Amino acid sequence: MLLLRNLTVPALALCLSAGAVAQMPRDRADPGGPVDEVFWAPTVILTSSVTNLPQGNLNVTILHAFGIATDGVETLFGLDGSANIRFGIDYGVFDRLSVGIGRSRFDKLYDARFKANLLRQTKDDRIPVEVALKGDVGITTLANGFAFADRLSYFASLLVARKVTDRLSLQVSPMVSHFNTVFIERGAGDEILEEENDHIAVGLAGRFVLSRRVAILAEYLPVLGNRSDGTADVFSVGLDLETGGHVFQLFFTSSQWLTEQHALACNADDFFAGDFRFGFNVNRVFSLGR
Amino acid sequence: MRRSYWFLPALVVLLMGATGSAQAQSFKTESGHAAFTSSVPLHTFTGLSDHLVGRIDLGEATVDFFLDLTTLDTGIGKRDKDMRETLETDRFPFAEFFGTLEGFDLASSAAQPVRVRGAFKLHGVSREVEIEETLQRTDSGLKVDAAWSVNLEDYDIVPPRLLIVKVDEVQQVRIEALLPPENR
Repeated sequence: MLLLRNLTVPALALCLSAGAVAQMPRDRADPGGPVDEVFWAPTVILTSSVTNLPQGNLNVTILHAFGIATDGVETLFGLDGSANIRFGIDYGVFDRLSVGIGRSRFDKLYDARFKANLLRQTKDDRIPVEVALKGDVGITTLANGFAFADRLSYFASLLVARKVTDRLSLQVSPMVSHFNTVFIERGAGDEILEEENDHIAVGLAGRFVLSRRVAILAEYLPVLGNRSDGTADVFSVGLDLETGGHVFQLFFTSSQWLTEQHALACNADDFFAGDFRFGFNVNRVFSLGR
Repeated sequence: MRRSYWFLPALVVLLMGATGSAQAQSFKTESGHAAFTSSVPLHTFTGLSDHLVGRIDLGEATVDFFLDLTTLDTGIGKRDKDMRETLETDRFPFAEFFGTLEGFDLASSAAQPVRVRGAFKLHGVSREVEIEETLQRTDSGLKVDAAWSVNLEDYDIVPPRLLIVKVDEVQQVRIEALLPPENR
């Protein structure tokens, strides 16, 4: 009798609960999916970030770097100086692959580039880092009579980054640049300045989010091994200002060169000696997908 | 006194039978279509998702739908992220509705206007709503089509701004889904 009673009550409860009105469990569609943007823009400041454009998104960029800010008020802190500017567009062919072209004022340089995400950092840390491969080919169109091949420059980088917290992202990016043609010149003090074809560096970059719309950025590109005479490592610090469709980047940087191969091989200014300049980058994203 | 428990197994069988017949009238999808249309001056944009999960139980006359808001795609990744931050999807990942269904005749295969009443929950705020929708029995299952408006401020959501332009607080929401018979 006791056994029957013990069995009957749970059986009744089971049947009643099965018939009871119950909501479905609320399961996330992709709980271990990719983290939201490791960086807000496809560039940290001058260098690429691991962040890529989603498929069908077109990013129009206007990158600007003025003259030396420490020249003082006479040049309005570099704004009167000769400025380099790069207009560019990048397009997300797939979620993990973007291609782009741009044109810089210095050297009348056109460049074509791509970025491919090999790994995406996931929310569940199954993949702890985001990894991307970046490539760029530049061609100067100065009227100097050079052959096509002599005008070319190349850049490649492996970008490894982690969104450490919602606020902090860090990136390490081994990189290499190559110029088909280099020069030996006399400097201002009559010294011989010899350029190198190849430069190797390890880029270090970080972002710290101050608020929903503002983040602080820094990047440092120390060249390892041989380098062109008279050049210096690039250092930049800046702010990201984000709206729903724009990212405005305001920064100070030592380099007036706006493509990475040129920043590595040609920058002659030392940020910590006071040779830095104001610059900005406007990113505007459009959807061509629909 | 001697007690008789002969009726208990019979009751169990009856209850199981009743439950079984209710299950046969249950329909479920995990790939329904949801869309919202949002306006700013001179511009509208739409967020789409094909991850709407829904169940309609005609035996219980209940309607249960939810959407993982992180699956909404407006066509611009940066705007999607802005939307997720506005909706605080890390804290409140779902938009959900649970309520009752009135006025549906399962015997008819015509599209029928029906009314659902229940709680729509968004951004952690639950409000009682009444939604007119169209429901149709087909050979493949139940076809649902519903549209209604959501005022963001009713759900403690501050409409985002695109530069200096504020997004309209009233969003047009639409769901379309075909719910096949559920095997439970």
